[in-house]
Amino acid sequence: MSKITRENEAGSLSIPENLLVTSSSAFFLINSMQVGVGILGFERYIARDAGYDGWISILIAGGILHILLWMIFQILEDSKGDLVSIHRDVFGKYAGHFLSIIFSLYLLLLSVTVLRTFIEVIQVWIFPRLNVWIFTFIFLSIIYYFVAGGFRVVVAICLISTVLGLPILLLKYFPIQLANVENLFPVVDHSLSDILKSVKTATLSFLGIELLLIYYPFLKYPQSSRKWAHFGVFFTVLIYLGSALVSFVYYNEDQLQHMIWATITLWKIVEFPFIERFEYVGIAMWVYIIIPNICLALWAATRVLKRIFKCRQKKFLWVYFFITFLATGLLGDRQSIDLLNKYTGIVGFYVLLYIPVLFILTKLVNKVRNRK
Amino acid sequence: MWKKMKRVKEFKSWKANETKQGDSLQGLIEKLKQSKDFVTYHHSGPTNCFLYYIKTINEQGFLHQSVLPILKNNALHTLDQIKDKIPVENITITSDLEEIRRKIMQGNIMIQIKVTDDEVLLIPAATVETRKVTTPEVEFSVVGPKEAFVESLDTNLNLIRKRLPLPELTVRELVVGKVSKTRVAIVYIDGIANMENVNTVLQRIGDIEYDQIIDSSFITQMISDNSNSPFPQLLDTERPDRISGVLTEGKIAILVDGSPSGLTGPTTIVEFFSASDDYYLTWHLASALRLLRLFAVIFSVLTTPLYVAILTYHHEMIPEDLMSTIITSRADIPFPPILEVIILELTIELLREAGARLPTKVGQTIGIVGGIVIGTAAVEAGLTSNVLLIIVALAALASFTTPVYQIGNTIRLIRFPFLIGAQWYGLIGISMCMAFFIGHLTKLQSLGRPFFAPLYPFRIRDLKDAFVRLPFNKQSKRPMQTRPVDSTRFNPKRANEKRDIDE
Repeated sequence: MSKITRENEAGSLSIPENLLVTSSSAFFLINSMQVGVGILGFERYIARDAGYDGWISILIAGGILHILLWMIFQILEDSKGDLVSIHRDVFGKYAGHFLSIIFSLYLLLLSVTVLRTFIEVIQVWIFPRLNVWIFTFIFLSIIYYFVAGGFRVVVAICLISTVLGLPILLLKYFPIQLANVENLFPVVDHSLSDILKSVKTATLSFLGIELLLIYYPFLKYPQSSRKWAHFGVFFTVLIYLGSALVSFVYYNEDQLQHMIWATITLWKIVEFPFIERFEYVGIAMWVYIIIPNICLALWAATRVLKRIFKCRQKKFLWVYFFITFLATGLLGDRQSIDLLNKYTGIVGFYVLLYIPVLFILTKLVNKVRNRK
Repeated sequence: MWKKMKRVKEFKSWKANETKQGDSLQGLIEKLKQSKDFVTYHHSGPTNCFLYYIKTINEQGFLHQSVLPILKNNALHTLDQIKDKIPVENITITSDLEEIRRKIMQGNIMIQIKVTDDEVLLIPAATVETRKVTTPEVEFSVVGPKEAFVESLDTNLNLIRKRLPLPELTVRELVVGKVSKTRVAIVYIDGIANMENVNTVLQRIGDIEYDQIIDSSFITQMISDNSNSPFPQLLDTERPDRISGVLTEGKIAILVDGSPSGLTGPTTIVEFFSASDDYYLTWHLASALRLLRLFAVIFSVLTTPLYVAILTYHHEMIPEDLMSTIITSRADIPFPPILEVIILELTIELLREAGARLPTKVGQTIGIVGGIVIGTAAVEAGLTSNVLLIIVALAALASFTTPVYQIGNTIRLIRFPFLIGAQWYGLIGISMCMAFFIGHLTKLQSLGRPFFAPLYPFRIRDLKDAFVRLPFNKQSKRPMQTRPVDSTRFNPKRANEKRDIDE
């Protein structure tokens, strides 16, 4: 263990005991950040390259995610800090802070994407003439209320969202009744390169583990959190795998390519004697999945800034809210939203690629320091 | 703000006046003489002295039986001699004006040898009018003890002490309220209750600065962690059995003189939905009833907003067969769903409020008249639909299932934000409103402990007595919420020892 961390510089790392969260929180933090708006329509993208072998790519992507998570924990355990202090130690003050700010901006981009995409879902499925400005404002006010409550409240929202999300999974029972399991056969009839292409797309659905780099110091027992975090990723992979398999056995391949939101369309067939067209309920419940997503992203984004600049986090929160508000309101049509998703995907991919790089760099730096 | 300042000013001037007039014993007596019930009595005979007391708070029998005969039969010349002869404890001789004033207002008899003396004898002879211990009326239960607190602190403490006869039961007392001088007792079991909680309560109550404390609900509002929340953060109960039950869990009870309900804390949101009945029934029944109550609360809050949301924005969600029923009942209604709901909800609230204010007998009549006549008339006049009438009536009924009265009021109130949300954004609006309240609840604290436990922070041990109540042999630990010093109730190994066949 090296002694890289230097505290009391620009936003101290020492976190009061009563703000720390338990190990099992890692499960909910990881899971609720990974499951977001993407799961409503990811099937089309992974099926584009690998067809019905897409589920294999989800498994492979899941494996990659576990490795990345392991790397993140290694980086954090070596340095006993968070992303800002790691960057400072590896790249020096200015370059390090610059990289941290870029990370913060990435998280801002992520929250804009999630919010805008969700609002698009609402516009398409429920309120075509929704006033985006007013809705965004109200939605963001609720999120501000949570984020201003601090990390503990954010964790609470993550936990509750995971629990509330579970019953929605049961709805998969309805499409399964009408399933064509033959769709999946023959297994592995796509080339390796096709599957790998789809692995890349699938990895993007699993964005969210990189936030661990920010909230790691808030975990009370980092060692035992490890297994919970891995459980979290595993659970996410299971959810995605389940969703993908159900969509694959329900839709035929051509149909799936025309489904922008395959999961929502699946909810349509749910029928009870007193209620049908379950997609309205599903989208309404998705509010609980979206809120922790944005809360956590914005909390982490402003936390990075707080650690860099000596300034109150609330001020940054206001600024970021204003940016999110403007960006969400200004992005109007389907094309720009699609473009936004595409770019966020690309940036996210590079962020994931950056993790192994950072891993190697910290290991090198540690080695050099230890030799001295 | 200005009002408050004015009040402080008035209070100060009043206080100054008091000290000016009462800075001598003579002044005090003169001031008291303005009241008709203040008795001054020159006793001549073998003992020559002056007696002063306020007859409305004095026990006259005591004066006649234990004080006057002694003065009449003996020649006593000093206060010490009188003190030795009178057969009561706690007699004081003092010249401390502050003490004299306090004690005389508490019902002591003051004896003075000469009018000019500063030193007086004070004999406690207070009588306090209270009502008899009766059956609980707010928190009624079918089985179990049927005693309820009354307005006397001493009686209430008696009701607790007789249930917990142990020396560790500690009663700390503070006097709060500049004018009302209310006695506030903080009760806990030493060795179980966490001293951190006790100190929090003592400190918060000690910091209260207000002129009057009429009821324990004043204390709840003043010491709660977030006074801007509609949710009560201390549980109030009128049942001594409930208080002694939670005291053994390590919670702290606050009793206020003159208030027939005690407060307990730290509490959680789920505790508001548990009744003392739950412990008197078998655990299966108790769990089922608790779940029923939880369902009732959710139903009560969400049904009318759902009605508004679905009928305003999402008609597609109603299945075909059900649709025809709703159409027939709503065909003639001239209003949009939201207006219809608000009319009916307000009617129900009016009935409730009127029923609560009116005398019991009239109240019942109003309930029947309102419920049946107005409801039917509204439907027949075509102002509201049958379906909605059923929903609103059921929702009102469901909100009465909460065992604690205060949370029932909260549920009554929070339905309206949900209605606004439903009208604005349909189901999404309801979701957002719900998310807001969940966030609010996770932020709340009760005496510094999380209010939303055992859900968040997630505590499996406390879940055994939250939404369901597991059997007593599974509850070997006291809840984590209170951080009890001694967390073991009993030894689970011994209790769960398995016997083999035929042993």
